[in-house]
Amino acid sequence: MIKAIVADDEKELRSYLKTLLAEVWPELEIAGEAANGSEALEMVDTHAAQIAFLDIKMPGLSGLEVAGKIAKACHVVFVTAYDDYAVEAFEREAVDYLVKPVTKKRLLQTVGRLKNRLQTSLTPPPGTSEILAEILARLEGKPDAAGRLQWIRTQHKDSVRLISVDDVDYFHSDEKYTLVVTPAGESLIKKSIKELACELDPQKFWQIHRATIVNVSRIENIVRSLTGRGILKLKNRKETLPVSRQYLHLFKQM
Amino acid sequence: MNDSSGSSVDLNYQFTFKKVMRDLLIVCVLGILIALLLRLADEGRDFLSYLIMSQAFGLATCLMMIFSLWLFKPRQWMSLFAVILAAVGCGVLIGMQTGRWILESLHLSGPAWPAKEIVRTVLLALFLCAAGTYFFITRKRLRLRGESLEKERIRRAEVEKEALEAKFRILQAQIEPHFLFNTLSNVVSLIDTDPARGKAMLLDLTRYLRTSLARTMPDKTTLNQEMQMISAYLNIQKIRMGERLSFSFDIPEDTGQLPLPPMLLQPLVENAVKHGLEPKIDGGKIDIRASRDRGMLKIDVTDTGLGLSSFNPGGVGLQNVRERIELLYGDQGRFTLLENAPTGIQATIEVPIHD
Repeated sequence: MIKAIVADDEKELRSYLKTLLAEVWPELEIAGEAANGSEALEMVDTHAAQIAFLDIKMPGLSGLEVAGKIAKACHVVFVTAYDDYAVEAFEREAVDYLVKPVTKKRLLQTVGRLKNRLQTSLTPPPGTSEILAEILARLEGKPDAAGRLQWIRTQHKDSVRLISVDDVDYFHSDEKYTLVVTPAGESLIKKSIKELACELDPQKFWQIHRATIVNVSRIENIVRSLTGRGILKLKNRKETLPVSRQYLHLFKQM
Repeated sequence: MNDSSGSSVDLNYQFTFKKVMRDLLIVCVLGILIALLLRLADEGRDFLSYLIMSQAFGLATCLMMIFSLWLFKPRQWMSLFAVILAAVGCGVLIGMQTGRWILESLHLSGPAWPAKEIVRTVLLALFLCAAGTYFFITRKRLRLRGESLEKERIRRAEVEKEALEAKFRILQAQIEPHFLFNTLSNVVSLIDTDPARGKAMLLDLTRYLRTSLARTMPDKTTLNQEMQMISAYLNIQKIRMGERLSFSFDIPEDTGQLPLPPMLLQPLVENAVKHGLEPKIDGGKIDIRASRDRGMLKIDVTDTGLGLSSFNPGGVGLQNVRERIELLYGDQGRFTLLENAPTGIQATIEVPIHD
């Protein structure tokens, strides 16, 4: 008996796929239904399933992440609602995929393919995990979003306010705290300028002084002072910010 | 300022009767002051002589200047300069002759004006005039430049504003394909198992689509209309997510009819679902509360989702709402994001109520 699991966070879609599978492949045993990625991973393991139907977008672990972990032991069929990248990637590669809503005709093809593969070898084709790794990297490894600081928590009375870094004009550090200056006001955070410099997107934020990081999009102009330092003027702000000599090179192309 | 001869000039001098009279009056007053000063500094002549001479100089120069500006209408800085100097030169000579003639006819002539003194006076007048003209031209040019910079800045701000508004119009009409196909898949699967719910879902989708697409026109919508669309959206999501999603509305009667532009509330709700609850294994709850307070409509969208972090930046929806409130209301509107305890976020928009 061949065992399969169906993983989808949407209950209706799970049961629908199960019903369809029962019609086109009655001999297949659906050993488990998973509502999220971690459950799916567990089920493949406990039931020793040979086939996994995985929804790509699931809470916890995504279908792609699950597949990356089980691809050596299990034939994976992705079930996706709509995903340009994924569909395009799978079209070129050996991994099978189904687009929701799944039709009986299309599912029959997939079942045929699966039966073929199961007959020739009981393990998935080699190279599947490499393909998956590549797809994963393409889908999720968008370099600009890689762990960059986007929201800053600031204490306001008894609540924590979230400020988007895009709203910040500049950061200026005191000895202990860092001042976050936005058009709407100022607040203090505990993060140091050093930490911020590492976490902020260097395309959007420049450190211009030991104690100052500025939002590049807010810069109006910079003038050289007589002492060789720079004086930065911001849009819609009265105060100017000093630029140390060591950071002046940032403004060479401006 | 090496472009001074090339750039064009618009002095914008109106040759109206009123304006000319005003200038002549100023010159008269100045002439009286000069006559007083001369009388105080020098014992040689009496006040009346000084007054007549200074008025003759002043009025003749001023009239010559106005006349020649009107006649030649100089369009270049250098030609303007030349016209003014020539006018002043002529004006001084004419003024001096006229003044002397008046003095003589009144028999007030005192000591004669030697030729040397005349030359000195003309040169001095020309020098002062050149300096004065240069000063005023430079100031005018600087002001013109400042104005054009300001105009450029305003123009740029307007272009940005239009671009932003266009972006929102596009966003408004946009329906996420992922959402659409997921909903349709659910409808397909429900047709066999639970046709009544499938039908309800399809009706909700229709309601959602109709409002999204119809709103491409920038019409004034009300909070109630917005809430209809949001409830359609949440009903659909409820079928998809089942137990993982619950929601509640608290829209008091005195707020429902208040106008609320589209693309403010709906993105907050969609963000809460997409980035807060959908990726959370246990799901959670969304509460929408409206209230009016001192001329402001305040709406809270609170969820118990994942909250925002570097790993969950929350999409562009929240940024868009912030930008849009700023665009629509400037300082009068407010958008705040608070962390909800123990998890999730509370997004609040406050917009002024216009009657």
